[in-house]
Amino acid sequence: METIKADILILGSGGAGLFAALHAYDCNPHLKIVMATKGLVGKGGCSRMVQGGLNVVLNENDSIEKHFKDTLKGGGFINNQELAWTLVTDAPKAVHELEVKVGCFFDRGEDGRIHQKAFAGQSFDRTVHVADLTGIQIIGRMPDQIFARDITVLEETRGLDLLTAEDGNRVVGAVLSNIRTGEIFLVNAKVTIIATGGSASMFKISAPSFDKTGDGMAMCFRAGAEFVDMEMVQFHPTGLIAGKSRLNGSLLEEGLRGAGARLYNGLGERFMEKYDPEHLERSTRDRVARSNYMEIMAGRGTKNNGVYLDASHLGAAFVEEKFPGMVERVKDIGKDLAREKVEVTPTAHYQMGGAIIDTNCQSSLKGLLVAGEDAGGAHGANRLGGNGICDSTVYGRRAGDLAAELASQEHVLPYDEAEAEKIRMRWLRPMTQESRENIYPIRDEIENLMWENVGLVRTGNKIKEAIGRLDALLEKAGRASVENRFIRQYNLEWNNIIDVINLITVSRMVATSALYREESRGGHYREDFPKTDNSNWLINICQKRKDDTGIELTQKPVVLNRLKWEEIENIK
Amino acid sequence: MSDHLNIRLFRFNPEIDVEPRFEELQVPTFENMAILDVVMHIQNYLDRSLSFRFSCRVGMCGSCALYVNGRPRLACRTQVSALKTQNITIMPLPNLPIIRDLVVDMEPFFEKWKKIKPYYVSRKDIVDPVVVHPDSNEREFIDEMLDCIACGCCYGACSMAATNEEFLGPPALNRAYTLIADKRDAIRVERLKVVDKSYGVWRCHTQFNCSEVCPKNIVPTRSIQNLKKRCVLKKIGVFK
Ligand SMILES: Cc1cc2nc3c(=O)[nH]c(=O)nc-3n(C[C@H](O)[C@H](O)[C@H](O)COP(=O)(O)OP(=O)(O)OC[C@H]3O[C@@H](n4cnc5c(N)ncnc54)[C@H](O)[C@@H]3O)c2cc1C
Repeated sequence: METIKADILILGSGGAGLFAALHAYDCNPHLKIVMATKGLVGKGGCSRMVQGGLNVVLNENDSIEKHFKDTLKGGGFINNQELAWTLVTDAPKAVHELEVKVGCFFDRGEDGRIHQKAFAGQSFDRTVHVADLTGIQIIGRMPDQIFARDITVLEETRGLDLLTAEDGNRVVGAVLSNIRTGEIFLVNAKVTIIATGGSASMFKISAPSFDKTGDGMAMCFRAGAEFVDMEMVQFHPTGLIAGKSRLNGSLLEEGLRGAGARLYNGLGERFMEKYDPEHLERSTRDRVARSNYMEIMAGRGTKNNGVYLDASHLGAAFVEEKFPGMVERVKDIGKDLAREKVEVTPTAHYQMGGAIIDTNCQSSLKGLLVAGEDAGGAHGANRLGGNGICDSTVYGRRAGDLAAELASQEHVLPYDEAEAEKIRMRWLRPMTQESRENIYPIRDEIENLMWENVGLVRTGNKIKEAIGRLDALLEKAGRASVENRFIRQYNLEWNNIIDVINLITVSRMVATSALYREESRGGHYREDFPKTDNSNWLINICQKRKDDTGIELTQKPVVLNRLKWEEIENIK
Repeated sequence: MSDHLNIRLFRFNPEIDVEPRFEELQVPTFENMAILDVVMHIQNYLDRSLSFRFSCRVGMCGSCALYVNGRPRLACRTQVSALKTQNITIMPLPNLPIIRDLVVDMEPFFEKWKKIKPYYVSRKDIVDPVVVHPDSNEREFIDEMLDCIACGCCYGACSMAATNEEFLGPPALNRAYTLIADKRDAIRVERLKVVDKSYGVWRCHTQFNCSEVCPKNIVPTRSIQNLKKRCVLKKIGVFK
């Protein structure tokens, strides 16, 4: 197998991957940094798709403490407080760097300073943005900084599995595949950073980009890393309904509700009055999404199983000026967001759960750092809108800094050749075996199964049923083979088989954790345990691989080191 | 809308095939169907060996540009109904090498992009985000032009890029404009020198091919004209 030696290997080129590369290089320009990414650089992933913006404290009337409390309150208080605190304290540095070093230019307010708009669940309007398509600016400019530096970028190259040494306790690189040629090779590195952006794309209706299939998390799981609160999946309340089109489930951004857009059910009732009379549509995502879902399930939905989002009363000129990207998107399905109500549905959006890290992105395995959506803990049971890209920039920077430090101290450790070969053979199997098992129906089945059984409203029995089915599907997907086995170059079907195996791997973790948490909190709602139970469940659920594909669960009480329980009682 | 489409699909594997061929397929239609839905339907259900590139599906990443019925378009933002015909020919983006089927190699595109020094270099005296009043014309139309998603549609449409291998092309020049017009940037003059070449701004013959196809409604020609103006100002010593 072709082998590349590197100091640092980064998987992914979203906000986290790009910032990690930039920081690692600027800390020590002599390091050999390899960044491999599944799509084209800066084009894959969700950072590119960020619409609403990024939360940061910039105004003297706002405070880090407020942002911190909002984040914990939004997260149902099971956040890792150190990670949440680091998130909010580093956010101003990340935004400063984006403007002053990367050259972004966020929208300005009347006073000429960076404008901050309203998002849900915030005690202060603190979301910086570029109109309603912020990610284009951020991720459009970051790769140019990478081009200015001596960083090796491998495009359309995906990580397959991590390589380990020292009895599996240390990661020493990864086996990858060049999608264009179909060649499998390895990178032997001192430090590996996983920044592949998680993915909530195992649900029938979902918002992430299509290249995200939980690869990084699945790789970390197989390598034995520890995870936290994997049951916590965020459903965004306002996904566009577009029938069988791929546009279905794409987001209408939260700033619309922030600006005063309203939700109505099929009977014309403003149903949030019932679920959260105080905050109405500006309630947190978990609540609004679930309320939408309950209305639909109760038969009060629209013709196409949704609810209505109505921004028309805000004035057509206002909507067109502030939300040009959303207006355009809705126009694609023949509707006018500025002048009429639009059908929306909850859509799977983000994973709060992920690999366990400390504030410098160190995972439970030596040599392995995890940053961005692949990591868990900062957002607890529900992430605030605007804290996502905030997370990937903040923790990308930190991962880069630590990686540079570690790489300067350590040697490249040899990998286990037999392990590398085993990994290669495993992922070549769809090209060599002749089972005629077709991957596409399997993918459809997972998406339906997760949506129905492990979606917005869960019950123990249905989750159990899903776990059994997922185990069977994992085995079935392992038998899948590629129809045209002579074409290795840019073979979408082959890549889809790998994607689906990863999706099932992550789905199993989500379902297992969801079964364990017998209460409702944030993104996790159990119909059989509908109440939040702080006396028993102020805990984090941890899991890691046991034996081949088994899962070992443990629980740990949430560490309330910054915000104590008494204070939480007061702000609840 | 009729219940099916007649698709002519470009297929080519440079490793094996002597020359490209066209495959004829019938694809059932549904509401809100975009070209991305068409190629995905084909790949999932009719011919699993088809290759194309995609990612975000909402017109933000610029991965899925194709040449559809004689014109570069983003697959995800091109509604089948807008083509106003049942007969659709789908080909890869012109002016770029083909990796396989509908996937082109964006390398030459980004090589040119890199030539204009696309990275922002902050002026030493700027230590904080600058204060810019929304009604000042400080940002001219920089922000509008920064909405470019580097999809390559304009590059595929430009007749100058098609015939001049050296020509930097509309997207790189547009990006150059956004930096050269940005008063916060430290290497504007250096960058202007790069574009002030026969294969730079002066190769643009103002045919507006680029602007006609831009899925983001950007007018790169406008950036290029502004660069030309600045090149002249530099010659007479006014642009610093
Ligand atoms: C439509 C949409 C809108 C959003 N809007 C907002 C918003 O307004 N505000 C906000 O704060 N958050 C928002 N989010 C969430 C936010 O986008 C994410 O939290 C954040 O971008 C995650 O960043 P990341 O760097 O971890 O991953 P991503 O940006 O998703 O990047 C992942 C990268 O990894 C690559 N990759 C995947 N698999 C592999 C592999 N096997 N090998 C190598 N590379 C791989 C991908 O190609 C990509 O480059 C939005 C999300 C979506 C989907």
